[in-house]
Amino acid sequence: MREEFRLLVALQDLDIMIKEVKDQHTSHELKSMGFKLTGLKELQDARDHLAEKIPAALLNRYDKLAARFTVAILPVTSNKCLGCFVKLPTSFFSSAYSHELLTCESCGRLLYIP
Amino acid sequence: MESKKLASFFEEDLCIFGLRSKKKISVLQEMVRHLASVGRISDERFIMEMLKNRESLGSTGLGMGVAFPHGRSLAIKDLTVLFARSANGVEFESQDGEPTNIFFLILAPSDRGADTYLALLSELIGIIQKPKKLESLLAVKDHASLIKILGGEES
Repeated sequence: MREEFRLLVALQDLDIMIKEVKDQHTSHELKSMGFKLTGLKELQDARDHLAEKIPAALLNRYDKLAARFTVAILPVTSNKCLGCFVKLPTSFFSSAYSHELLTCESCGRLLYIP
Repeated sequence: MESKKLASFFEEDLCIFGLRSKKKISVLQEMVRHLASVGRISDERFIMEMLKNRESLGSTGLGMGVAFPHGRSLAIKDLTVLFARSANGVEFESQDGEPTNIFFLILAPSDRGADTYLALLSELIGIIQKPKKLESLLAVKDHASLIKILGGEES
């Protein structure tokens, strides 16, 4: 997997965690179980640090998608975008694109071929 | 969540009854490597990074010898639970400062299953709050006994 895809996936995992902590219902539930969620600043610092390593244009694309979807980047599975479940055109799977970050023509999510 | 349903999450190949690691990061690594070795995760690095970030939010070592490392990642396809036990205990920055002996590692996919993993966490925490169950879990040495404890056959 190309480094920039790896960074985006790691950023997405972190964003999902931050969203959970900021979500009142989820954080209340976790706190009621006994978890202490005191390190939100550390998570945000880690997010900033990771985001700095991603090219600005790509980060901007990801951020816009992440504002719309829980999962903005995902691997192509069974020739489908698992975000919207649309079957992808065969041109996606030509070797010319196998190392590229692709865009689902239906929903706009970022896709990569694992 | 019914106790039988809870027990069904604990598959035999997802249990480690003799953890070798003695420190926090290495025990997380040992559990993640085990999941990779049985084909449950697509990339160890994503899971490790996510778990380390989760620990920086606040230790998942709740005390009483138990920890619940957990989180969601694109590198996991289905809700997965790994049980691990260390006879001697691990320094896991737990809330009571005591070593941690048993670990419930709970991983959920990024795009779904958030409610299920929270329900599962809640159910397991309910179990460890029962002194007899906790005592049995801290001493458990095989999968059949674990299922018996989690399946509700021991009070």
